[in-house]
Amino acid sequence: MTYRVGIDIGGTFTDFALLKGEEVVLYKNLSTPEDRSEGVMQGLAKLAEMEGLALADFMGACDAIVHGTTIADNTLIEMNGALTGLITTEGFRDEMEYRRGYKENIWDVRLAPPRQITPRRRRLTVPERILFDGSVHKPLDEDAVRAACRRLAAQGVESVAVSLLFSFVNPAHEQRVLEIAAQELPGVHLSASHQVLPRAPEYDRTSTTVVNAYVGPRVTSYLERLSSRVREAGYKKQLMVMQASGGVMSVDYIEGAPVRVLASGPAGGVIGSAHTGVAKGHDNLLCVDMGGTSYDIAMVLDGAAPAVAGWNMHHRYLVGVPMVQVETLGAGGGSICRVNRGEVEVGPASAGSDPGPICYGRGGTQPTITDALLMLGILSADAEFAGGSFSLTRDGVDAAFAAMGEAMGYSAEDAAFDCWRVVNANMTQGVRRITAGKGVDPKDTCMLAYGGNGPAFAAKQAEELGIERVLVPKASPTFSALGTLIANPSIDEERSYLVPAEQADPERLTALWRELAQRAAGYFTGAGFDAGAVEANYQLNMRYPGQNWVLTFSVQVAQGLNDLSFVAADIGQRAIAAFNARHMAEYGHIREDEMPEITGVRLATAVATKAPPIGKGFTAAAREAQPAGTRRANLGEGFGDTRVYRGADLQPGDEVPGPAIIEESFTTIVVSPGWRAFVDDAGDYELRCEDAA
Amino acid sequence: MTFELNRQLAARREPLATTAEVDAVTASIIRGGMETICFEAATYLGRAASSAIINQSNERNAAIVDAHGRLAAGAIGTPHLTFVTGMTVRYGLMRQEDYNWGPGDVFLGNDPDAGGGHLPDYNIYAPVYDDAGELIMIQCLQAHQGDTGGKDPGGFTLEATDIFTEGMAFPCLKLVHRGELREDVFDLVVRNNRFPTIAGDLAAMIGGVQHAVRLLEELVARRGAEAVKAAINYNIEHTEARVREVVAAWPDGTYEADVFIDHDTVGRAKDIRVHVACTVAGDQLTVDLTGTDDRPDLVGVWNTFGNSRSYIMTQVVAAMDPGIVKNEGFFNAVEMIIPEGTIAHPPPNKPAALGSFHPACEITEAVCIALSAIVPERSAPQVYKMGMPNSVIGFDDAGRMWMDQGVDSRTCDTSAVQGIDGWGTCPVSLGNLLLSQVEDAEGRFPVLNISREMTQDSEGAGRWRGQPGSLNVKQVLEPATAMAWMVTAEHPLRGMCGGDDASPYANHFKVGTPEEHKVELSANEVLPAGSVIAYQYGGGAGFESALARDPEAVREDVLDEIISIERARERYGVVFTGSVEAFDLAVDAGATAARRDELAAQAGAS
Repeated sequence: MTYRVGIDIGGTFTDFALLKGEEVVLYKNLSTPEDRSEGVMQGLAKLAEMEGLALADFMGACDAIVHGTTIADNTLIEMNGALTGLITTEGFRDEMEYRRGYKENIWDVRLAPPRQITPRRRRLTVPERILFDGSVHKPLDEDAVRAACRRLAAQGVESVAVSLLFSFVNPAHEQRVLEIAAQELPGVHLSASHQVLPRAPEYDRTSTTVVNAYVGPRVTSYLERLSSRVREAGYKKQLMVMQASGGVMSVDYIEGAPVRVLASGPAGGVIGSAHTGVAKGHDNLLCVDMGGTSYDIAMVLDGAAPAVAGWNMHHRYLVGVPMVQVETLGAGGGSICRVNRGEVEVGPASAGSDPGPICYGRGGTQPTITDALLMLGILSADAEFAGGSFSLTRDGVDAAFAAMGEAMGYSAEDAAFDCWRVVNANMTQGVRRITAGKGVDPKDTCMLAYGGNGPAFAAKQAEELGIERVLVPKASPTFSALGTLIANPSIDEERSYLVPAEQADPERLTALWRELAQRAAGYFTGAGFDAGAVEANYQLNMRYPGQNWVLTFSVQVAQGLNDLSFVAADIGQRAIAAFNARHMAEYGHIREDEMPEITGVRLATAVATKAPPIGKGFTAAAREAQPAGTRRANLGEGFGDTRVYRGADLQPGDEVPGPAIIEESFTTIVVSPGWRAFVDDAGDYELRCEDAA
Repeated sequence: MTFELNRQLAARREPLATTAEVDAVTASIIRGGMETICFEAATYLGRAASSAIINQSNERNAAIVDAHGRLAAGAIGTPHLTFVTGMTVRYGLMRQEDYNWGPGDVFLGNDPDAGGGHLPDYNIYAPVYDDAGELIMIQCLQAHQGDTGGKDPGGFTLEATDIFTEGMAFPCLKLVHRGELREDVFDLVVRNNRFPTIAGDLAAMIGGVQHAVRLLEELVARRGAEAVKAAINYNIEHTEARVREVVAAWPDGTYEADVFIDHDTVGRAKDIRVHVACTVAGDQLTVDLTGTDDRPDLVGVWNTFGNSRSYIMTQVVAAMDPGIVKNEGFFNAVEMIIPEGTIAHPPPNKPAALGSFHPACEITEAVCIALSAIVPERSAPQVYKMGMPNSVIGFDDAGRMWMDQGVDSRTCDTSAVQGIDGWGTCPVSLGNLLLSQVEDAEGRFPVLNISREMTQDSEGAGRWRGQPGSLNVKQVLEPATAMAWMVTAEHPLRGMCGGDDASPYANHFKVGTPEEHKVELSANEVLPAGSVIAYQYGGGAGFESALARDPEAVREDVLDEIISIERARERYGVVFTGSVEAFDLAVDAGATAARRDELAAQAGAS
């Protein structure tokens, strides 16, 4: 028997998903914030015990241990990363502070700046200049580099980012700065922009490199500690780590660009969603994860969660590496409801989990969405909550909403209902913004809802967006851990090459793709994979001259990394035809008089690994399920006696007509009026709008 | 155009007729839906356009105007555009029968004398009807174009004395009739524009508007036309009530300010005056520009009536709770008096291009100074005192125009506000305009960028200081035309509540050659290949006295080389021990107290 273990560390729990053969075992224990590797080792010991094996035997039988970590995100949230310096081109000292002029709220003259990772005293410049074609306009002043290093050393920097203009075209100067810095600053973590994000423009690349430098030492030391602990315990392979791109890769690779683990936690959940949704026959999914503080939205299109590189503003810092696009709104169960000058407002402030909503009975005094759900009868003080760990209380809840109602001139229940409407509208608009950015009509998708609160709102959300089907998997609370098992080892990198498409040099394209292929082959081999098993997706980034956004599309998909024979003399013409077709599909017009340009080549590589099987289908005999009881509730159309079902009672084939409430162990599913829930062969739920044909 | 037309365009409009009523929550949900659709339209345009002004600098704006021409929703782009959009549409609405408006139509308007700002701001708009054929609202998408077909490439002519010099004006031109592109009309517009990508950019704007109209039609179908109309009415009334509530809490009185432009675009007339009196009486705020310059022979400094209203409003909204929804309710709550014949309300056919810089910004600045007596905590001028963009224009071998658009200013005009030093590159209301980048520009234009750093000691000093200005040095590698109009040497951006003024802008052409010269007034020069221009951007102004600045904050600035040790001593009265080089700088408390007493006494004596 070989095992694969997926591990996701959250704020409260560390989740484990163990794949053995066709079976998935889920387990969770408490996280250990002091040293997170401790909680991981405790959980692994527990899994070994559950398998009846000594830890060393269990670890030796593990084919892969895959890990998702929030350590980089926490570093940016808490702003406690390395003391970081920046060396950049003379004349361009202040780009990090300029942020390309971007300010998050154009209406608020009191908007405060983000804290600077590299204040001006640690942003130093050196004379040198490379031009857009890679030629050297001004040679590197090596004495100035040494002087800059000494100035940084005097300030005690722990990490240095190097970002010089056009280094993505010609990295020679950056490489030399690295060499000098390694001599002058022994023990200091170094990040070079041509390695972290080899693409234009300079702010995007520099910012990504600076963030990499800032989080790098913490991420690296954590992963090294964990790696050595699992190795000592008997694990023989490389630890694999989840990336924001939705793929996993070996620690060796991640240590070269730690910034790639930022935002990897939610990405794991999206990968889990994609796998589940596609297995059940839905290629286009709108994934919504509503937890205690936030509402995370992501799209799965054609079965994949596309990772986008570029303008990813993450905790107010631009991080340009490919990220599965997860948009976060401040709308969760803990979101605080209030009346502000005659308007009901919800969030983004959250009561969190401590003290939490009033109904948690832990001292919370401000009404939240969870409290509103209790007022509406969607949740009940008589039912178990959060897997039975505690029960909700109505104490103080009515009074809080009565106060809101008084300010608005209506009843407490009306106030709770308006909070429900407002948070629904916030979420709907958030979804539309995401889909707009991708040119997708939400109507063409199936919604997949997870997180503690997602399923309570899903049907209503779907209705507002014109979506006719909603999936609610039973395993949704552990999606992130499951996602790390599902995610394939992958490397997605690009190289810049700016050229009119008709002048594209096949040899240059071949050389760039070969460089990427060789890098990928090295890392895959090092992680124990057969390079011949790597699936390679050769892509081009293109645009019309002047466009700021590129369209990325595939020109060749191949097994293995050696065959570049597809790059023939006609590659430019093929690229133009493919680009124009994409542009027409995306924007409804092509520019016949303009020659599109290639801006870069990209190579997305992945190795298919064994993923947990997902049950599907509706072969069990259909029958109308029997409710466990009724309670007074308002599911959007006024209060009435509403059927309540216990998830544990439901079997494949069961149908639940709306309006109804299904109480699952970690979540509550609302079946809206006009909707019907079906339990599939795997025990997962599908909600269907009955008005739809 | 006539002044009478402007009076009609600006007149207060009635609410939409509807029998329906909506509650506050429904109204805000519908508004949110409309704002999101604006976001979709602007995103679509940003992705599909190839003009760097639109897709890099993000100089585009989406808004929704209701059937009566009232600003109903929208908030992406810049306030300066948001608040002028509706006036162009109002002109179209006045002519809707003449021009046979109907579902599926798309129009273009940019005429400064028909409600517009300046010619480059093409406003593409399309009506939205309900199933019964009633006009409900109009979706607008506005963006600055790289050319307007006038005398000079780029649309700015320093010596222009009429609008015809500047290019083609479109009062209300139908580009799409009932869903069909009018190809003859489209080609006419394209033919009268030098910008090589204008056809694609126009197609992108039309596509963006049509996309939004489809979504708005769905919204109307889903919510019902009556509910949508009622929601628009509700939101506008709610905003008006909120604004009046804020004003009612302000002390009654009249608060005045004067701001001057050094000279007009040809340098003949000096000290061009903008005068503002903001009067608070109960819940009524009146902004009166009476006393503003009206010399008829001024050149270039004419700001259109629509723009003047917008630039007033940009600063009024900055002075209030940012959470108040931006719509017509602001115009309903604030009375504006903009005398006919002044530079803020020009007679017909005046040029308009450069007036959108000055006096437009001086109007905003004057409103800020006047209101700083009431709301110091929200008083930072939302301006760009740059004269005009530092654009460099040339033509390639095929005769196609290129323009390095000059929206690469780094720090400028980023003033402090109470409690917060100036930061970033520009005032917050311009925070959607992304600055261009060397690595995007140099592959596209024959230009070498040499420096863009902040300039030490160029901050407007204050208890909270302005962001320093920056020096932007670039070299043209092919012959190119560069224009400049310098306006702040005599009258720089003003400090607030006792803070220092900002440092002025300065511009040098042909740097490092015998012909090196400082542009004193204005310039329109062909620069030979290899020429270097060095543009010093002005900094932000300070807030309250520099002598009240926390000495530790001064120390931080010295360590960051934002200010020198000498300036710390001379302007802030802060004296140190140790050195920057050794990183052992420390405030000498005793010497600092003495020095501050000395400076305060000098200031009192003067």
